[in-house]
Amino acid sequence: MNRAMGLALALGLLASGSAGAADTIKIGLMAPMTGSWASEGQEMKRNIDLLAEQANAKGGLDGKKIEVIIEDDGGDPRTASLAAQRLTTKGVVAVIGTYGSAVTEATQNIYDEAGITQVANGSTAVRLTEKGLKHFFRTCPRDDEQGKVGAAAIQKMGAKRIALLHDSSAYAKGLADEINAILKANKQNVVFFDALTPKEQDYSAILTKLKAATPDVVFFTGYYPEAGLLLKQKKQMGWNVPFMGGDAINNPDLVKIAGKDAAAGFQFLSPPVPKDLDTPEAKAYLASYKKKYGEEPGSIYGVLAGDGFTAVTKAIAATKSTDADKIRDYLVNKLKDFPGLTGKLAFNAKGDRVGELYRVYKVDKNGEFVLQPK
Amino acid sequence: MEQFLQQLINGLAVGGIYALIALGYTMVYGVLKLINFAHGDLFTYGGYLGLTLLTSLALQGRVGTAAAVALLVLMVMGLVGVMGVVLERAAYRPLRESPRLSAVVSALGASIFLQNALMLLYGARVQVYPEGLLPQVAVSLFGLQVPLLRILVVLASVVMMAALYLFVQKTKIGTAVRAAAIDQGAARLMGIDVNKVVSLVFLIGPALGGVAGLLVGLYYGQVNFTMGWIYGMKAFTAAILGGIGNIPGAMVGGLLLGVIEALGAAYLSIAWKDAIAFCVLILILIVRPTGLLGERVAEKV
Repeated sequence: MNRAMGLALALGLLASGSAGAADTIKIGLMAPMTGSWASEGQEMKRNIDLLAEQANAKGGLDGKKIEVIIEDDGGDPRTASLAAQRLTTKGVVAVIGTYGSAVTEATQNIYDEAGITQVANGSTAVRLTEKGLKHFFRTCPRDDEQGKVGAAAIQKMGAKRIALLHDSSAYAKGLADEINAILKANKQNVVFFDALTPKEQDYSAILTKLKAATPDVVFFTGYYPEAGLLLKQKKQMGWNVPFMGGDAINNPDLVKIAGKDAAAGFQFLSPPVPKDLDTPEAKAYLASYKKKYGEEPGSIYGVLAGDGFTAVTKAIAATKSTDADKIRDYLVNKLKDFPGLTGKLAFNAKGDRVGELYRVYKVDKNGEFVLQPK
Repeated sequence: MEQFLQQLINGLAVGGIYALIALGYTMVYGVLKLINFAHGDLFTYGGYLGLTLLTSLALQGRVGTAAAVALLVLMVMGLVGVMGVVLERAAYRPLRESPRLSAVVSALGASIFLQNALMLLYGARVQVYPEGLLPQVAVSLFGLQVPLLRILVVLASVVMMAALYLFVQKTKIGTAVRAAAIDQGAARLMGIDVNKVVSLVFLIGPALGGVAGLLVGLYYGQVNFTMGWIYGMKAFTAAILGGIGNIPGAMVGGLLLGVIEALGAAYLSIAWKDAIAFCVLILILIVRPTGLLGERVAEKV
């Protein structure tokens, strides 16, 4: 009897607690604030903080203030599943994030079962949206789309012998597989396909083996720290083969790690960074970001997190509801050509972003990322 | 053949770094029977402190290259050594009489603390050494590329290992270290201040780890706050491979591990490089549980 009463009391407290919290709309941000992708997570936070501040200055959402609740996923699937469980107990109506595909995958079902909309910003692995989860969206494009653009860029270079290198992560392996399949289907000669171990400092053993395969181009699908070291050590070896990379390389630290000389000429795929967009929304956002933080956003994924935030808040404002089904209905059926920070925003029924986003960038001799004509 | 030799050189250069870090593991284990899991993070601090000293003291351009490197090595050794002593006082000494597991847990905790402190101090982004302090010259030998810095790294580790070996074997303090390693109680009865010996070990071991971090920063030009983990694991493996507690063993284990990794990457698969290295470790431990140069110590009854 006592236990039952205690339970009733606890339930009553919980109910009043959540009723008292209803004067704000809580949006969760799950991001790698620590761990090896911490710089990405910190940029995600900057973008979301700025957008929430702007929205609150304009009177908030549906008459209520937006409250951003951050949980650190550490860039690690196990930490992320705990972070997701904590967020579901904090009354958030939607979650933005996260960066890595495997990390997002560990949290998808937790949010889905809790009926919370999730908008990932950097998780490009194909299978994330092929599962048929109703409330999962992403603002970044998928690996298969990037694979097409990557294979086309390689063919455009006229390379005969192609080397593909990944880092065994869900993202990098997925992208390398996509490109490999397209190249094989087009009867191209892939002479090398293997993975390096991320986070090491010395890639001379791998570069020596790559060199022995005599490729015309090396496509590395991993992340910028490794790409920077590969470029630097390739130059130290005195080997002049062109390198290309995927969108996880879009980070200005690449040039710092490799050095300007070694990075010059490197090409990579990426959704366009805000400074290359000429829409008034992107320009205004860039100015406000620079005003608040003193520099331009360095990472495209931080900005894509911002796009997730704008899409969700737009859906809540338009439907005057925080119900996940209504948000889904709005995002899939009503949101068309919405001016996002990285271009036009719209989602298909799987939750994938609609439209071609990828462009080819090239590092010039000053270390700047230059958008190549399509 | 050319690829084989090139990979051998690649492996020796990486192995030299492993060896230098492994010396710290092996010394601490030899005296305290403690695996200092925070050692990898002290190595990372070496890389970061080197960068800070290099830029804040404006060494580059003001003094010659050799003088700048010598100054950096001395300062980094001193600072990381002091960190090691403080770490031992704060995290290990209070637990010396506790079960050994407590000290291992404390070491893991210290490692996480050090890593996160570094992230908060310097930020999460990769830190980059200024370019052009050391000349990036490569010698071409029979078609092989041998960067001079790599030779320097291997030489530095060999010299430090030799100096450490002589210190432990030939000096009076070294004898005290060896005595404390065999039996702390008996050493205390012989008038050896065991606490001082332990402090000394925690000064030298981390100092060598710090130099390794500095060399990594100077050679690869890039340090990040998580790099201590993987280097620490490899060096720990190298120490066990060579026979933990044995100074030349750490050197042999480090160089061997580097070469196994490089050849494994070249002739089997790059992705399986680490797995191959650890399989060799397991094999050696099955055949020779004390490691390559470790001696079987008979327990007195």
